[in-house]
Amino acid sequence: MVDLQALRQAEHGRRIRNGYMWALFCAVLWGIWYIPGTVVWGLTPFVEMYTEVASTSGDGMALIVTAVLITALNAVTVVLALFVWNGVLGNYGEMIRTAKSFHPCSKWFLLASVFGGPVAILGSFMAMGFVGGAFAAVAALLYPVIGAALANVWHGEKISKRAAMGIFVIIAGGITIFGGGVITELQAGSVGWMGYLGGLMAATGWGIEGAVADKGLDVANADVGLHLRFIAELAIWIIIALPLLAIMGYPVFTYAFQIFQPLTILMFVFAGITFGFCYVSWYKSFPLIGVGRGQGIANLYGMFAVISTILFFGDVPQWTVLVGGALCIVGSFIMFSEESLELETLRN
Amino acid sequence: MSNLPRKIRLMEIMQDGNEYWNYDVIKQAMQDYGFQSDFSRDTLNMDLIELAAVAFIKEVDLKVDDEGVYKKGFLLHKYVITEAGKARLSDACMYAI
Repeated sequence: MVDLQALRQAEHGRRIRNGYMWALFCAVLWGIWYIPGTVVWGLTPFVEMYTEVASTSGDGMALIVTAVLITALNAVTVVLALFVWNGVLGNYGEMIRTAKSFHPCSKWFLLASVFGGPVAILGSFMAMGFVGGAFAAVAALLYPVIGAALANVWHGEKISKRAAMGIFVIIAGGITIFGGGVITELQAGSVGWMGYLGGLMAATGWGIEGAVADKGLDVANADVGLHLRFIAELAIWIIIALPLLAIMGYPVFTYAFQIFQPLTILMFVFAGITFGFCYVSWYKSFPLIGVGRGQGIANLYGMFAVISTILFFGDVPQWTVLVGGALCIVGSFIMFSEESLELETLRN
Repeated sequence: MSNLPRKIRLMEIMQDGNEYWNYDVIKQAMQDYGFQSDFSRDTLNMDLIELAAVAFIKEVDLKVDDEGVYKKGFLLHKYVITEAGKARLSDACMYAI
């Protein structure tokens, strides 16, 4: 006699494990993305662009204007990488059907692109430009709290005590990794309100994006939904942001046409693949384990980003990185060890 | 041929509130979209699992596939649409092009 309940439990376990696996892929790929994401700032034409803008508008503004162009170009390669991905999966028909279903599906991905693109990414660069990289990283690490809270209030998503504890321990780990840098940055001098606003935008933007996208993912496929979200983000940068900066007198289009250098293109291809698949993994985890858990595990990107920079740039890690990394791993295990049958349905 | 995204179509097939085995819903959806591969079949089953995870459909019965109607040896699920699923579906279909 076959034990149906044991088979059922095993099937639920597989769904939960797959969800956590996608969230972990997201964290690893996000961490790896920091390699091209960092290298590209030192390449032609961005060095020249930064120098030119900084000479007239200051370093903070130069960072933001350059960041908008880099983010727009990053979105181009992400969209191209996802065309290959969805083509292999045979999803083009589903993409058209989902895009046409604006009210139930694609409007949520359009909204997700606004919160995840101009709000969160721009906010993150504002925090970086006006305060510092460590402050921006810590601010962004807070996003799962917003995502989990919104998903709970709006969708009735179950957030168990164990899941909440895991999220907080991972955030504590991330703060330990970057904490020393934040104190140094805040002590360095006067910090503009633009930096704090940017930090707030990063923390809320990605959290809101998760909850909003999950509303669309209720009735849409994650690979397709994510692709539509990036096409919308690309349109925002190309149709609104870049022309606006050009009107304000910044030479964004002049430099955009100078990117055709082998190393610059190679870095954007690398960035597009890692960022695209990191985001696909993020979206794929939401319907399987929920927004709170998916974002909580994806938050391990802080640790993987530090590992990437240690491995590829030879940065010597401080002891805080080891303590923070250990906390991140503990937090993950707190979440992984949750009883899978509690997650039979993700919502109340 | 359906113009609706897969998950919406799967719920639409079950909208009368009757109980359906997953293989019957999947078979109907495959005909609607002109799908033929095992990969498409498994993708549709994954869509059903995700719909059950967000409580838009609810599992009411189980059996092992002894005859190979879906995949021999696999667990088969019987589902019914929930009130939350019906509400999301009516919202979705009202506006779909």
